[in-house]
Amino acid sequence: MTAVKTTETAAPAGDIPPALPPAVTGGARKRRRRGSSFDRMLPYLLLAPALIAILWLIGWPVVSVFVTSFRQLNLGELVRGEIVWTGFDNYVTVLQDERFWDVSVRTLVFTVSVVVASVGMGLGIALLMRVLTPWVRVALQVAMLCAWAMPILASTTVYQWMFDQNYGILNKTLVQLGFDSFAGYSWFSSGTSTLSVVGLLIIWQAIPFLAFSLYAGLVGIPRDLYEAAGIDGATGWQTFRAVTWPEIRTLLMMVTFLSTLWDFKVFAQIWVFREGGPSGESTTLPVLQYLEGIAKSHFGVAAAISVLMMVILGLITFQYLRKLLQTEEGKI
Amino acid sequence: MLKKSAANIAGIVLALFFIFPTYWMVTSALKPKGSTITSDYDLIPFSVTLTNFVTAWTKPGFLSSLGNSLLVTLTAVVAAIVIGITAAVAMSRFAFRGRKSFVLLMLVAQMAPFEALLIPMFLMMRDLGLYEHLTSLILVYFAVTLPFCAWTLRGFVNGIPAELEEAAMVDGCGRWGAFQKVTLPLLGPGLVATSVFAFITAWNEFLFAKVLIRSQDSETLPVWLSGFQTAFGTDWGGAMAASALFTVPALVFFLIVQRKMVAGVTAGAVKG
Repeated sequence: MTAVKTTETAAPAGDIPPALPPAVTGGARKRRRRGSSFDRMLPYLLLAPALIAILWLIGWPVVSVFVTSFRQLNLGELVRGEIVWTGFDNYVTVLQDERFWDVSVRTLVFTVSVVVASVGMGLGIALLMRVLTPWVRVALQVAMLCAWAMPILASTTVYQWMFDQNYGILNKTLVQLGFDSFAGYSWFSSGTSTLSVVGLLIIWQAIPFLAFSLYAGLVGIPRDLYEAAGIDGATGWQTFRAVTWPEIRTLLMMVTFLSTLWDFKVFAQIWVFREGGPSGESTTLPVLQYLEGIAKSHFGVAAAISVLMMVILGLITFQYLRKLLQTEEGKI
Repeated sequence: MLKKSAANIAGIVLALFFIFPTYWMVTSALKPKGSTITSDYDLIPFSVTLTNFVTAWTKPGFLSSLGNSLLVTLTAVVAAIVIGITAAVAMSRFAFRGRKSFVLLMLVAQMAPFEALLIPMFLMMRDLGLYEHLTSLILVYFAVTLPFCAWTLRGFVNGIPAELEEAAMVDGCGRWGAFQKVTLPLLGPGLVATSVFAFITAWNEFLFAKVLIRSQDSETLPVWLSGFQTAFGTDWGGAMAASALFTVPALVFFLIVQRKMVAGVTAGAVKG
């Protein structure tokens, strides 16, 4: 329910009218006379291009990735057009590779840290925005909009410059503040440090969406609930637990699911900083898939990695959709 | 009172945190050559010049990759919007067998993990003879944005009462006339919001652009910028100017729909 309220308050009045209950359009349909066969075909004709495109460009690759994962497909087989079935060999190769497990654990830790930090700070900023003086709030919103709008490759380049070893503003500032050991300090000498910088970059760009969405949800909570809590003498924390939390819980869960999906798949930022290095220490699953599949042309093994990634993403997506359809039951 | 000023101070600090990279990008781009790479502490620029922008603009590959990015993104988004509208209208205005399944398919397709489809996409584009060809990127971006467009536009079409169209048809409009004269104009704001979001998704895309295109002539801007060290060496001023130029279209579009952005994203993602 919260989600619905949110989207409506976020939109300026009149721009995005609330969706009509199905009964309204359904009734309209029933009133129409039984049409010609063209009329009956019309919805299918209208859907056909989208359906064909989705089956061809999404459906087929999904089938194909499973099929490929059971083939031995390196550059040689690809060029010769050979089809060599290997059963579960690719999976055995991947799952027996210690590096795969290192990378999986690293991806998991990275995703969870980034999601927790960005959702937590997003919620914090959303709550903070309610109590700010208007001009401070506008300044904060404009600043967040700038961060949000910057294309990923632009922000990655800017972060590379800010974290530059010799002339980066961060090291220069730290030296100014008296931390002389940071002169010429390299932030990319270890995997953990590299991923921390990448994580900071992703959190910085993810918070605006989270904060704006959650703020829109908070603004939608009826004022009288807070007044009632105030009359009852609730403390700030009690008010949050009793009034705010139940109202935004669903929305918070939704954006957490979305963030998990997005942050798990991050490739560009990690690749551009150190190509998964130094010595593979900042490699995550999407980077591993790229390295195996595209850089080394081991398409079969890479497809097995892709399938394992899809299983994880699929489970998260399934949970998300289940929750989504529960909150909006009957909307489809 | 004290609490309020503490909150405001926190707000200002956060605003600085969020704006700083943008500030640093712009000021580094505006500094004259030679004063970017310096050990001096130079948080505020003392002299301003546009030479870095000229350098970036005239770097080999910048203009062609900008053109490629615009071509690929706009073609994919226009196709996704046109086909998305027809699907949205079908899903929202007609009762037919299998409608629910179509809507569900669209929702699931919108969540498809494209990054995990890198290998089959690569193999497919190679089989089609589109590898190294911008058409492959157009197809991928079209596929990425189409379910989102169809799904989001369906929400917007749902919001326009079907009675309006019926009234126009009673007044003698054909079905197409009613759609074109009544629904399409009312759909305007929704169309803008949807296409901007689709535009930004494609404008940002890096993985497929890197994998499917290898020749420099067909590179898109994100891939060109990722290799800025080939073009700029340690000329950070030039790299910042190029980044700023890359940001401008996205920022302009963001400002156009800034309020609808949140509604749009959550409408697609959260609102059923």
